[in-house]
Amino acid sequence: MVQNATFGKIGKGRAILIGLTALGILVGIYRLFAGLGAATNLSDAYPWGLWVSFDILTGVALAGGGFTISAAIYVFNLKKFEPLLRPAKLSAFVGYLVFIIGLFFDLGQPWRIWHPMVMWNPHSVLFEVSWCVMLYTTVLAIDVFIWALERWRKDDWVNFFRTIYVFLIVAGIVLSTLHQSSLGALFLLLPEKMSKLWASPAIGPLFFVSSIIGGLSMVTLESILSAKAYGKKPEMEILSSLGKGLGLALVIYFAMKATDLYAREVSVWSLGWAHLLFYVEIFGCVALPALLLYFPEVRNSTTGLLWAAGLAAFGVMLNRFNVSLTSYGGYRDFWYFPSAIEIILTVGLIAQAILIFDFGLRYLPVYPELSPHEVKTG
Amino acid sequence: MKAVLIDTTKCIGCRACQVACKSWNDLPGETSTFSDSWSNPKYLDADNYTRIIFQEVHSPAGDLHWHFIKRQCNHCLVPACESACPVGALKKLPDGPVVYNDDICIGCRYCMMACPFQIPKFEWGKAVPLIRKCTFCADRLASKQLPACVASCPTGALRFGERDQLLKEARRRIGASPGRYFPEIYGEKTGGGTSMLYLTAISFETLGLNRNGFRTDLGDYPQGMHGREWMAKVPWVAVTVAGLCTGLYYLNKRRAEVQAQEKQEG
Repeated sequence: MVQNATFGKIGKGRAILIGLTALGILVGIYRLFAGLGAATNLSDAYPWGLWVSFDILTGVALAGGGFTISAAIYVFNLKKFEPLLRPAKLSAFVGYLVFIIGLFFDLGQPWRIWHPMVMWNPHSVLFEVSWCVMLYTTVLAIDVFIWALERWRKDDWVNFFRTIYVFLIVAGIVLSTLHQSSLGALFLLLPEKMSKLWASPAIGPLFFVSSIIGGLSMVTLESILSAKAYGKKPEMEILSSLGKGLGLALVIYFAMKATDLYAREVSVWSLGWAHLLFYVEIFGCVALPALLLYFPEVRNSTTGLLWAAGLAAFGVMLNRFNVSLTSYGGYRDFWYFPSAIEIILTVGLIAQAILIFDFGLRYLPVYPELSPHEVKTG
Repeated sequence: MKAVLIDTTKCIGCRACQVACKSWNDLPGETSTFSDSWSNPKYLDADNYTRIIFQEVHSPAGDLHWHFIKRQCNHCLVPACESACPVGALKKLPDGPVVYNDDICIGCRYCMMACPFQIPKFEWGKAVPLIRKCTFCADRLASKQLPACVASCPTGALRFGERDQLLKEARRRIGASPGRYFPEIYGEKTGGGTSMLYLTAISFETLGLNRNGFRTDLGDYPQGMHGREWMAKVPWVAVTVAGLCTGLYYLNKRRAEVQAQEKQEG
């Protein structure tokens, strides 16, 4: 099929990735038989830990590229981003797939993961999140399936899906808007257990905008890194435009956050650990990359873009950890740090995500120049 | 709406309620350990639905006073856990109890995060764990029996009845002996009101139990309503975003078609 010579660089790393995935599967099996208490450091004082903060909250935010690029192209008519659409959607699909696997291991009753489909509580934010995630993953799966149909030259089928394409686009954007913001709204119920720096009534919109930051920065990182890995040139013209968009999103987020803190009269200046994390997040990972992206020299260099997008993506991750973990404190005399099993499973999920993404890039028409097939729908 | 009036000034810390709760709910006993206070067990967990906190507080005059504060699910009028649960495993019954359905729960633990009193506990020792908490003895209430803890209390510190009548009774007690009680009822409005109503000798601020499940910063508005209000907006956001996206999609498409045609003609 595809020769290793073309993809030599990934080939070397693949063994490590497969090893990490296998390790993740092993500890996952242990987790299923031994239970959450034995496998994790979670407790009644810290019911949510690394798996919620990283696998779920961070994972979903960083997979926001699919809907962001799709909205840029079809809603805001920025057609130049079209070459990025498929990689962004593929990474979103892989992100959600891995997120659902992570959620499976995090649930106390994994085999009941389907319950929200038939057992409804329309008052629950988490109920809405689970429905949106189920539906959005289905939309992304249909997208990926269309590429597979293209590859198999089932043109009749591809044409059929073209007729419902607008429905898929709109559904993807609506579902993402809802659940990206609602993941923040989960924390509307527990302001008293969080630091005031993050416990905001505006946490829904803030989560939404930061998921756009997460999506744009991940698309940038993935484009540059996969171009390097497959030995092709990154499309700098598109990526530097994307960098402008990322800068804009960062500035908007910074303004929203500043307005929110000012309106709630939160004392921002202090040297407590919560404040230090806040400074790293808001100055180091929002203001700094925004400033970097202001300069054309940064936007036009791969290294510059890597740094700016890397900082922004790290900032989104730090934000999710700050909201759900570092700022959370029910009982202060308890302490939580993830167990080895929690960390190994998470690393396994990341490795698995890269493997599936790589598989998708090689076997599906995602990048025109890499794909085994040239036909393209919208 | 049924409720329990917990008059902590009448509690002698005998913990008969803890024993009665364990025996009615078939919960295993456990080896005691010493801790910094006489409270035992040290925390509520999946095997302990209630406990008496032995709180030592210095009065302004400098004497040491012991306060016995019973902790269990407060059975909120608008429970945050009920608003949080994605599958509806937690329900407030019209009678008062907030009950949990073993067969529905997916183990997401959002109720534990959301509860302002930190009541739902998880069976961390089990491979396939469920949530555990005080049930207000809903099964006993159904057969016209008192909750196990109330039935076991030797001093009348626990009194079961209609919520509005118990509130009247609580205010009567405060009025009859003003020196004995702090003139506020914890649970009357706390977090939107609860079915467990507390009379104390001193305020909860002075008791200092913020980190032990008796927060004084909850306000009168139920935490769960924040989630419900968000959910009320969701359909409108969905319709608006869908409308805008569909409209702009077709507008862009039309614009592209016109441009293509103009190019052909020109």
